[in-house]
Amino acid sequence: MLKMQDISKIYRTDLIETYALRQFSLEVSAGEFVAVTGPSGSGKTTFLNVAGLLEDFESGSYQLDGTDVRALSDDARSRLRNQRIGFIFQSFNLIPDLNVQDNVEVPLRYRGLAAADRRERIDSALELVGLASRARHMPAQLSGGQQQRVAIARAIAGDPAFLLADEPTGNLDSLMARQVMDLLEQINDMGTTILLVTHDPELARRAQRNVHLIDGQISDFRAYEPRAAASGGADAVGAALA
Amino acid sequence: MNLHLRPILSALLRNRTGAVLVAMQVAIALAVLVNALYIVTQRIEKMGRPTGMDVENIFVVQSAGFTAHYDLKSSIQQDLAWLRSLPGVIAATPSNAIPLSGGGSSQGLTIVPGDRTRDNSFGYYELDEQGLDALGLHLVAGRNFRHEEIEPPITVDDAGRFVGNVILSRAAAKELFGDQNPLGKPVYDTLKHQATVIGIVDPAMNSWVDNEHSDWVFYMPRLTSSLYGGVRYIVRARPGERDAMIRLAEAHLSTSNPDRVIHFVRPMTYFKDLSYLSDRSMGIYLLTVTGLMIAVTCLGIFALATFNVATRTKQIGTRRAVGARRADVVQYFLVENGMITSAGILAGCALALATGYYLSLQYSLPRLNLYYLVGGVLVLWAVGQLAAWQPARRAAAVSPSVATRTV
Amino acid sequence: MLGYYVRLALRSFSRNPGISALMVLAIALGIAVCVMTLTVFHAMSGNPIWWKSDRLYAVTMDNWDPNNAADKKHPELPPPLMTYKDARYVAASRVPMRKVIMYTVDATISGAGTAPLRTPTRATTGDFFAMFDAPFLYGGGWSAAAEDPPPPSIVLSRETNEKLFGGINSVGRVLRWNDQEFRVVGVLDDWFPRPRFYDLNGGSFSPPEDAYVPFAWGPALSLQSSGNTECWKPETINNEQDFLASDCVWIETWVELPDAATHERMQTVLDNYWAEQHRAGRFPRPRNNRLTDVGQWLRDMQVVDNDNRVLVGLAFAFLAVCLINTVGLLLAKFLNAAAITGVRRALGASRRQIFTQHLVEVAILAVLGAALGCLLAALGLAAVHHMYSAAHLGHRGGYQELTHFDTVGVAWAIVLAVVATLAAGLYPAWRVGRTPPAVYLKSQ
Repeated sequence: MLKMQDISKIYRTDLIETYALRQFSLEVSAGEFVAVTGPSGSGKTTFLNVAGLLEDFESGSYQLDGTDVRALSDDARSRLRNQRIGFIFQSFNLIPDLNVQDNVEVPLRYRGLAAADRRERIDSALELVGLASRARHMPAQLSGGQQQRVAIARAIAGDPAFLLADEPTGNLDSLMARQVMDLLEQINDMGTTILLVTHDPELARRAQRNVHLIDGQISDFRAYEPRAAASGGADAVGAALA
Repeated sequence: MNLHLRPILSALLRNRTGAVLVAMQVAIALAVLVNALYIVTQRIEKMGRPTGMDVENIFVVQSAGFTAHYDLKSSIQQDLAWLRSLPGVIAATPSNAIPLSGGGSSQGLTIVPGDRTRDNSFGYYELDEQGLDALGLHLVAGRNFRHEEIEPPITVDDAGRFVGNVILSRAAAKELFGDQNPLGKPVYDTLKHQATVIGIVDPAMNSWVDNEHSDWVFYMPRLTSSLYGGVRYIVRARPGERDAMIRLAEAHLSTSNPDRVIHFVRPMTYFKDLSYLSDRSMGIYLLTVTGLMIAVTCLGIFALATFNVATRTKQIGTRRAVGARRADVVQYFLVENGMITSAGILAGCALALATGYYLSLQYSLPRLNLYYLVGGVLVLWAVGQLAAWQPARRAAAVSPSVATRTV
Repeated sequence: MLGYYVRLALRSFSRNPGISALMVLAIALGIAVCVMTLTVFHAMSGNPIWWKSDRLYAVTMDNWDPNNAADKKHPELPPPLMTYKDARYVAASRVPMRKVIMYTVDATISGAGTAPLRTPTRATTGDFFAMFDAPFLYGGGWSAAAEDPPPPSIVLSRETNEKLFGGINSVGRVLRWNDQEFRVVGVLDDWFPRPRFYDLNGGSFSPPEDAYVPFAWGPALSLQSSGNTECWKPETINNEQDFLASDCVWIETWVELPDAATHERMQTVLDNYWAEQHRAGRFPRPRNNRLTDVGQWLRDMQVVDNDNRVLVGLAFAFLAVCLINTVGLLLAKFLNAAAITGVRRALGASRRQIFTQHLVEVAILAVLGAALGCLLAALGLAAVHHMYSAAHLGHRGGYQELTHFDTVGVAWAIVLAVVATLAAGLYPAWRVGRTPPAVYLKSQ
């Protein structure tokens, strides 16, 4: 599914170079629910950006669904993002002047789907997150939890192979956070691979597997016990240290 | 004064596209402003040259006989007698042409008979003894024509005849005689006929306002012929009476003689305005477009400053939180704007000079006067600061508490 | 997808209506000023008889003063007019397919049942109408063969025919022209070549004369030119015969030469004539006999004045400022919304899709700007027209003839709008597509 090998990512300014990822390797199998944890500045966000094809990396290799993304053009990466990856952000990142269904429609538009097909996917995605009745609301009219659920609907409307979630509950109170996590587990149970980036050990514990990042590298110190392996994730290959 | 130019500059350089765009606008606006103002001033000076004539109170009648019964001399006598009898009329004269109108006759004069070394050409007017008064010209030396000196019209049979006396404009006298006193001296036409200079008027203008020597004029004491398309009467009305006199003249003259037609009765301002029309419209157009250009440039400065303030709200808040006063924030943005404008002005100076040089080369306009450049620089600098003032004030109003908010 | 982009653009306008309006206004002003200037410039530099412009030649011969050129600023050019003698020689030649010699006189028409009417008239030869494609409403011209002695024939302009005869077919009517009996043989339809290429002496944009009579009537009635008469030579002129024999120039001369061979023969005719006259003591300057086609003639006579060239330059400088301004505003606007663009990129929009989306937005602005610009240009031209008309007391002629907003103006506006879009929109649209999406996705 996802295979990163010896990836390095460096941020340069005029004065200094910072390694955000250093010889980073990770393999994730289809259907897994993996939590990536680490203190702030450990490279979590960089990992997410690289995994989501939002940023390039300096060295190493990254295979997504057996495709070497390094060789891909920006266009091809965009297509891959559009069809295979769904994003969920801490601050939801809904487009403020589009209503709920238009927000969910955005990735479908870029995929060039026919109107009827789009309609159907939007409806079923909103159905899944329980917001079918709010299709015509503007984001500002929704609570934080509802906004995040719209974002999840947007992420899954295109049937991606895996979801990248970046602190999806960071801006939510605990009740809403739990609802969102339940939803993610439900989606995972339906077969979608999920990569959850978080600093919250409580959330991480709900993943099948934890990867802990320190200074851009995977630390083999495991702070938390992952939840019991669910179906499909049983023979997941563990993270290997470089 | 604690300006901290360096951090402002480095902030500018990090996000330079917007600044470069504004500087480009300032540069073009400066180049255009300076050259446009220079051209406009020249046109205004040109239009404001003294004509020596009472243009506002003069009107012109053009009459043309068209039948075999038409007698030029008696027609002129009748018309003049009637015009002069009007209480609102100061003086009236027949004339071959209308000064400032763009139409007329000119001829060469010399002080040595047959001298062909100087190629000069003077606009001339055939007037009678009321001629100078009708035009409102000021005699600065010598005397006016006398009634008995007025010569009969030339005809096809003596078209080369000259006159006994002439009155010169001071500029014409200067061209012919230099610093000598011209009074009583002879001048010659191209056929070596002689005339005596009896008077000098100043200032004066001929028919062609665009001519390099539009002040080279002389006047002849002769009734005009109708050889060149009819007779013109130049009539000077008392102040305020011109339009009433025009209506009277139109009504009377158009029916007083069935053997001629009145082509027009028009104020002299009509001809003057028409002659300067292209200068006037050029001036209006240049000023309008230049004004718009400065307005658009201001808008650009304003928009950039607003954008900079909006994207740096947090930074401003942080500065305020660590102790910057409102005045410091205003100053920061004004200095930033001043730097951008100055960069534009610097480029603009070069562009203005290059444009000025090109115009002088291509269209033989006079070379740009540097005072205009200095003036233009000051104007754009002031305008730039004004445009940035409001966004800078808005920046100063940013609350220090912004720094502690996360979103 | 285009529809989607249009919807996004409209949303974007309603998000920042102020800045969008300013951009439309900036584009519109730039386009309006350019269209106004270009409309006048285009009219000024137009060739009103382009379809036979390379067959029609003005004939000029340098008969001027050995010490001074006719035009000191352009010493290479002969005087634009010809002497009576030389013009008659050209008119007698059988080489050109058609030839015209002519000048203008001030005349009065009476005896048509109306008040005497001042009638500026062109004294010209019979080929005039066919040569310059002057359209007839009624009748026709007079035969070029029958000009000596001249038939008392007159052709009226449509306007004059309206004034004299109320617009009826007046062919065959008799009237008095300068107190001589003339018979109307034709009435022209509306005809106003701009510039009036065949005679640029009385202002390049003056309307054609009100009537036309056979050339020979001018000298026969001793009628002086109401246009320019220029003399350089000290000559005693005591009567009409002296004047006609003098070196004064006052006649416009044109020939129609259908092919290169005729052109060459005509040049030879002129050169031989020049040589013969030169031997007899005329033409003291170096040989300079010219056949000038219409396009070159308009350039030689400097129909487009310098002021107008300066104004065209100014208009483009203004357009440049407006477009740079728009680029700045667009950039600010697009980058302000970079976070949203980042989301779109994350959701799979390619750079090209982002670029297209923003370019569509710019295109809509440009279309609105062009429409508003057309409106402003039309208003501006109407204002200029009004200003000129007021100065002319409502008479025709002069620059006011150049201020008509027409299809040419609209075409300019469209071209400029496309240029404006490309110039103003490409960079911001490209730039926003290049912004790395990741930067904007984190809220902190």
